[in-house]
Parts: sequence; C-alpha cells; structure tokens
Amino acid sequence: MDNELFMNTEFPPPPEMATHFEPPPSSSSAMMLNWALMDPNPPQDSSFLWEKSTEQQQQQSIFDSALSSLVSSPTPSNSNFSGGGGDGFLIRELIGKLGNIGNNNNNSGEIYGTPMSRSASCYATPMSSPPPPTNTNSQMMMNRTTPLTEFSADPGFAERAARFSCFGSRSFNGRTNTNLPINNGNNIINNSGKLTRVSSTPALKALISPEVAPGGEFSRKRKSVPKGKSKENPISTASPSPSFSKTAEKKEEWGGKGSKSSEEKGGKRRREEEDEDEGEGEGEGNKNNNTKPPEPPKDYIHVRARRGQATDSHSLAERVRREKIGERMKLLQDLVPGCNKVTGKALMLDEIINYVQSLQRQVEFLSMKLSSVNDTRLDFNVDALVSKDVMIPSSNNRLPEEGLQSKSSSHHHQQQQLQQLNIYNNDNAQLLSNNMMLQSPMNSLETSTLARGFTHLPTLTQFTDSISQYQMFSEEDLQSLVGMGVALNPNNESQHMKIEL
Amino acid sequence: MASADKLINTDVPEKDVFALHFLQSLSNLKTQNPLNSPAKSIDRVRKIKKAAYVSMARAAGGTSRLWSRALLRRAAKDDNKSVRFSRRKRKVTWKISSKRRKSNNQRAPVVEEAAERLRNLVPGGGGMETSKLMEETAHYIKCLSMQVKVMQCLVDGLSQK
Repeated sequence: MDNELFMNTEFPPPPEMATHFEPPPSSSSAMMLNWALMDPNPPQDSSFLWEKSTEQQQQQSIFDSALSSLVSSPTPSNSNFSGGGGDGFLIRELIGKLGNIGNNNNNSGEIYGTPMSRSASCYATPMSSPPPPTNTNSQMMMNRTTPLTEFSADPGFAERAARFSCFGSRSFNGRTNTNLPINNGNNIINNSGKLTRVSSTPALKALISPEVAPGGEFSRKRKSVPKGKSKENPISTASPSPSFSKTAEKKEEWGGKGSKSSEEKGGKRRREEEDEDEGEGEGEGNKNNNTKPPEPPKDYIHVRARRGQATDSHSLAERVRREKIGERMKLLQDLVPGCNKVTGKALMLDEIINYVQSLQRQVEFLSMKLSSVNDTRLDFNVDALVSKDVMIPSSNNRLPEEGLQSKSSSHHHQQQQLQQLNIYNNDNAQLLSNNMMLQSPMNSLETSTLARGFTHLPTLTQFTDSISQYQMFSEEDLQSLVGMGVALNPNNESQHMKIEL
Repeated sequence: MASADKLINTDVPEKDVFALHFLQSLSNLKTQNPLNSPAKSIDRVRKIKKAAYVSMARAAGGTSRLWSRALLRRAAKDDNKSVRFSRRKRKVTWKISSKRRKSNNQRAPVVEEAAERLRNLVPGGGGMETSKLMEETAHYIKCLSMQVKVMQCLVDGLSQK
C-alpha cells in the first residue's frame, strides 16, 4: 500500500489543468442520465456510486489511453487475441473457471445463461463488492451490466474519453478524494467476498496463465493495469475491492477503445483473467510498476531499430562504399568515350574494361609498329635526343647501364649536327616558325619537368637547346610529334586511333 | 573517409613528359640493343612495349600511384633488379575468394565480377579495394590514352617519311 501511494505521487496532476477541471463532470452526468434511461431500476446509492466510479473510469480510461498510446503494440495484438475464433474456447474455459469463483460469490445463476450475461460475468465478480449490503449481488449485477456493456460497447465513449484525456490525469486527485469516503463506506462489508475470491485465484491463475499469457504483449498489458490500479488504490486504501472493480471496468473501456465493440467480449474475458491475476498478486503489481516506466523508451528504441537498418554500421559502411564507387564511376564515365550512353554499373564497367583493353592493345600494336620503324629512322632520332648530355644524368640515375651508350652515340651526334645544318639551310623560314611554335611547349615542358622534380637537369637553357636541336633535326620526321606538343588536334588523334584499330 | 572527402586527383602530366620519357626509354632500348644487332622482332616488340609502359609509369608520377608502382615493380622484377619502394608495405589481395564471392553474389554479382576483370587489367589492381580500383583505373586510362597518342604521333611521324 505504501508503494502504491508512492506510485500515486509519481504522477502528480499538472497544475495548469485545474482550469479545465469542469468538463468531465458534465459529461459524466450526461452519461449518468443515459444510464438512468437505460436502467429500469436504478438504485440511488449505487447510481451515485456509479457516477463517481464512472468519472474515475473515465480518468482511468484516459490514463489507459495514454498508456496504450505509449505502448502502441498491445492494441493490435489485443485485437488478435480476442478476435480469433480459437480464443472462444479458451475464454469459455476461463469462464468455467470463473464460475467457480462466481459460485463462491453466489452469482452463478445469472452469469452463465447468455452471452450477454457471460460478458457481464466480468462485472459480476468485481462489482459484487460496491453495492450496499441491502442489495443482493445478483440484482446489483443486473442493474449494472446493462449500462456497462452499453457503455463499454459504445465507441463514442472511447472518443469522448480520448477527448478528455487531458483532463483525466489532472483532475484525478480532486475527484478521487470525493470518492474516498463512499467507497470505504460501501465496501467494507464485501471484503469477505473478495477475500474468498482472492483465495481461489492462485489455482486459477496457475491454470490460466500458461494458456493466456504466452506473448509479451499480454504481460505488458498486465503491467500497465496495476499502474492504474495503484494510482487508484491509495484512495480506497481501507477496501481494496472497489478499486478492484474499477480496474475491471477501466480495462473494459480500454479494450473497447482499442479493439472496438465487436471483439469486446473476448477482450473482457481476457481482462477478467488479468484481473484475477492482479487480485491475486498485489505485490506483483508493485513489482510490475517498477518495470513499467522503461517501456515507452523501449518503444522508441523499437522505432529506431526499424530505421536502424540504415544506421547499422555495416549498412552504413556499405553505403559509403557504394557512394565512393559511384563517384569514381562518374569520373570514369567522363574519361571513357561512349560510356555516357550506357546505364548501369555493370555495363559501364564493361565499357571501361573494353576501353582499357583497347588501349593496351593499341600500345602493343604501336610498339609493334615502332619496332618495325625503329630500325631506319627512330634509332637515329632517339639517339640524337638522348646523346645530349642533358638527358644522360637523369637516365644515369635510373638505369646505370645506359651511361655507357652515350659515348657510342657520339658519332650520331656529329651526323645529326650535319643534318641539322642541312635542314637549316634548306628551309630556314620553316624552322624559324617551328622554333616560334616550339616556345610554348618548351615552357610547359620546363615547368612540368621541374614540377616532376628533375632537379638534376643541368640547366634549363641547355635542355631547351637540346630539345630545339632535336626538333630542328627531326622536324620532317617527327613533325607530328612536335605538333602534338604545340597544337594537338583531338580529332586527328581519334582518327589515328580509329585507323590503327 | 578522408580519402573519400578529398577531391579525386587524376591529373595527368603534359604529353611532352610522356614523349620525353618514352623517347628516353626507347633510346635506352636502342643502346641496349645496338643498331644492327639481329634481335628477334617479337623480342623487340616486347621490349618496346615494356619501354612504353615503364616510361608511362615514370611519367605519370613514379611510385605515387598504385598502378605505376606495380608496373615499375613488375618491370624491375623482369630485369631481376630489386627495387625498393618507400612505405606502402601492404600485401592485401582483393581477389575474391570463394567465401567472399558467395557473399558478393548476394549484393552485386555483376559489378563485382566486372571489377574483378578490371583488376586483372589494371596493374597492381589485385591489391585494390573497389573504389580505389576505380580511381586508379581513371588515372591509368588517362595515362594510357596519353601514351597511345604519343606513340601514335611517333609512328605517324616516322612512317610518313
């Protein structure tokens, strides 16, 4: 009980809702009027009690609506549970077990006759306590069941309760205080009945619980129920039974909200069982109260986990990898001709592979061509270029055996200079223009070679001299080679390539 | 991550650099095989080809690139020379093992298969992760096309005469 009180203090009514305190009573009185119309023989005291208790029910249902919204999953599972055809058998079985309890409370005759009364059975056991001693239990039950089933079957009520959800939790304390004396006065007498029921429940629970509560949803709901109950209990600390009945009603409303009116009977029966479980274990309820608060966070985690497929470290890494590959694919797409028309990574890769292969084949083919050409002209030209002492140091750094050959190429050098003179004489003007043209590539060559780190080149002027000499010499032969440095025509190149292919 | 954020640099040096390197290596070839030595044509072709690739690798930045590094290493191995490169002591093979192939089949079998073929084409591609392979391939293609142009010009210039 102390624990329950503590739980109650955990949910203090928000102060700002005191202004909205009015609406619930009016609505509840309207409800009361409804019931009065429905009820053929409303006992005054019990109706008064009803008013109070329904207000509490509303509050409770409001609470429960909040709870169910927090714990979103139980409602669908609940509907599954109560809606299934196979559950009917189970429920009947449970009713049969409840019948024993009902017998203890002298309610057996009315409960089992019709489905209606069967649905009322859930009220019967809890409601046995509230009525004053003058009324018999059965009469009270008949009085109550009609409005209550109506009440719980009414989907409009659920909506109304949902509308008042903001008030319910806040007006809770003030309301319950008014209830406190009434409940106490009414229910002391029936404690004995409740006691018998409680005593009967352990065996019943042992039978029921393995069948009924296999899923986590059920247990979760069970957890949610004692919370509301514990909130309520501090009010009626003297008699636990009224609070008990209220929880039963409250649960019905909750179920009616969650799984609508069609599945209500099954839901009621199941809740009835829950009720039994709770009636049996108040300490268990307290224990469950402790486990209850972490549940909404669990729900959040669940949502996160659903998204978590994207935030999973593996899939994240995979996505990064794919992005990288796609990025580079785009890069390659620009490089490889004809790759823009292709869609799809695989086809693009095929294109790239083909292109690389074609390039490699071209290199092979060209080297073959060069080897055939080499004998006649290129030997001389290349030697002429390399024989300049400019190039030798760099080549010495790389390939040591090459230094020996510089001497052997010296005679070529003389020849080359001779030829160079010839060329100079023959077409002077052309050479001049050629030299002019050569300036720009030379500059670029210098900068690029400097950037490459060829610091071992003796001097740039010497280098350019050698190059210019080489180009003067080989102007006829390697005009295209020179030309490619000066003004390269990509169209020509591509044409060449195509010819070669 | 850092490499992904970095701008992918596939800049390739000027064509002159390729031409210079290629001519230089050709001259080396020439000096190795004196002018009138009766070398077999096939052997000659192979050597020129190798010279073309090695010069390309040198022109394209030596050991800064994975593919050029692999090319130079391969060339050095052919020459029975031990070439030591600084850093990069990684020995990872990205060729798909049977186990990995099974897992890769589930997500993108065609792409992985194509990447595998590309690995065989690009020198040193066996040690590359797929995105890196793409990057290296881009650079390699640039250099190769450049080299092809240079060789084309040479051949044209020489055969015109």
